[in-house]
Amino acid sequence: MQPVKLCAFLVTIDLLIKSEGWELTNISTPIIEFKNVGLSYGDDEVLKNIDLELEAGKFYTLLGPSGSGKTTILNLISGQLTVTHGDILFEGNIINDVPVEKRHMNTVFQDYGLFPNMTVFENVAFGPSIKGMSKKDIKTKVTEMLTLVKLNQYADREITELSGGQRQRVAIARALANDPEVLLLDEPLSALDYKLRKEMQYELREIQQRLGITFVFVTHDQEEALAMSDWIFVMNDGVIQQNGSPEDIYDEPINHFVADFIGESNILDGIMKTDYLVHFTGKDFENVDAGMRPNERVEIVLRPEDLDLTAIENGKLIVTIADQSFRGDYYEITAIDDDGNEWQVQATNKSKIDERVGLTFDPEDIHIMRFNESENDFDARLESYEGEEDAEK
Amino acid sequence: MSRKFKLGNLYLGSVFVLLYLPILFLIVYSFNAGDVMQGWAGFSLKHYSELFSDTRILEIVVSTFLIALLSSLLASIIGTAGALYIYNLKHTVVKNIFLSLNNILLVSPDVIIGASFLILFTVMGFALGFTSVLLAHIAFSIPIVVLMVLPRLQEMNQSIVASAKDLGANNWQMISRVILPVISPGILAGFFMAFTYSLDDFAVTFFVTGNGFTTLSVEIYSRARQGVSLEINALSTMMFVVSLLLVLFYYVISTRAVKNKKRSTRLVLPASEGL
Repeated sequence: MQPVKLCAFLVTIDLLIKSEGWELTNISTPIIEFKNVGLSYGDDEVLKNIDLELEAGKFYTLLGPSGSGKTTILNLISGQLTVTHGDILFEGNIINDVPVEKRHMNTVFQDYGLFPNMTVFENVAFGPSIKGMSKKDIKTKVTEMLTLVKLNQYADREITELSGGQRQRVAIARALANDPEVLLLDEPLSALDYKLRKEMQYELREIQQRLGITFVFVTHDQEEALAMSDWIFVMNDGVIQQNGSPEDIYDEPINHFVADFIGESNILDGIMKTDYLVHFTGKDFENVDAGMRPNERVEIVLRPEDLDLTAIENGKLIVTIADQSFRGDYYEITAIDDDGNEWQVQATNKSKIDERVGLTFDPEDIHIMRFNESENDFDARLESYEGEEDAEK
Repeated sequence: MSRKFKLGNLYLGSVFVLLYLPILFLIVYSFNAGDVMQGWAGFSLKHYSELFSDTRILEIVVSTFLIALLSSLLASIIGTAGALYIYNLKHTVVKNIFLSLNNILLVSPDVIIGASFLILFTVMGFALGFTSVLLAHIAFSIPIVVLMVLPRLQEMNQSIVASAKDLGANNWQMISRVILPVISPGILAGFFMAFTYSLDDFAVTFFVTGNGFTTLSVEIYSRARQGVSLEINALSTMMFVVSLLLVLFYYVISTRAVKNKKRSTRLVLPASEGL
């Protein structure tokens, strides 16, 4: 029995190694890669030395304010724009000079770009018919796509007869009908009303998971980005400020811009006295950050939802309620501390204006940002002391 | 307020009466039993029967329409291509030069265009006749088509071009399947404008018709010099009716294009198919 088992084990290992080797090349080659990519119009540098890697099958979001360069990156991937310097790779091959129509990706445009002279069916059939598919195959494909976006009842409608949300769906179906390996979405939800947008966020995510292809989604809406993405690139001034999972970016913003852009933040100046001890508003607070120079000037981020109002004697700080507004599931309260700093607090209970109350938070709610820290240094520092913590435990 | 409104209507009415009175006068006298424009001698269709037995004039009518049809067709093709080219020019200075060159041809006097064509054809040793008239008509029709097509291109949503490329279409597929259908109302308008310009052009045609060949407007002019026969009234009346039908026809297809395949307008179409 034993030798047989051993033999089977060895064969399995062998197979594993072989399959692993095969899979490794697949996993390790990103579907899209930017190497030191820049784009300028004359002296105007729109993108500065962008490096990024996208893995196949994930939902990526490029998030930033208008003019941050996020749509420029999308247009570089799709081929609408060409790089000034650097390389763009698709599955390991440089595609800088491959024209739009030869790339294995499709775009959902901001204003949809539907062909007004064609019906819904003809719009979706455009890509397959260009490819030279047979009439029967085209019909199958279009029906499949329209079913995917829940528009199969609308095949014979004119584009002008559709609502904004339906046009959106046609645009998605049309782009997907070409079987792209990457789907690029340029702020596709920005023209829809709030409720429809929420619905489409969910549906887009579902479609992406079902098809298992890579989505690159451009938006200026941080809520949208947090809700949909596997991975977010936060952009500003033609530079990737931070990239990470939605949780990472929300919980550990790298700098003032990211903290301010993603979610609501209270940002204060402070001094990191030693590891795990930070000084702000004239007091010392215990915290969970480390790896900085002693007495380094830093910025402190406290999220409004992490703050609690309490009795004065229990408060870490004493604040005066200045303003409050009802937001449905919480009260948004503006409070002023004795140093004159303004605090945004999300509270479940109503407060009285001008009342003096205590403000409290936990050490792990205090997030520290260094000035001009690069993403690599930031990641390395987090890893170093988080590793330490684990070791201590 | 209402008094003002009535005054406005009166003004508008009188302008239209002034504009259409000569044509009305001409039409009424085409049915005159007498041979001159002075004095009504009773209703008769004799000038029309004279017209239809005049084979020379019928030949001229046919060739005039042939010239108009051919020249407006070819001008539509060339003009649309030209508009696409101008639209795609990235360099604004070059673009404006082309546009200005186009517009200069539109506003320059027909006599100068006609004379220059005459000089050109003579220098080249090109025989005057059907072809020379056709070429001249194509030439002055192209700027009209460009002028009608270019605004359509400019108001076309840019992202449909980007989408076509994105979905894998090459330039030709993009133009034939997306751009041309979208700008077709402009092309149609250009075609009809060119058609009517060609039909009633006198000055340019006058220069480039040779001995054997002539068009209606040139023929009417030469006949009118020998004293106006009422046969010409009859001919002009027929031309006027044809123009009316053309306008009606254009109106029907352009509203059909706007309404985008809505079934209701199709019912109107057969009425104008008599053309």
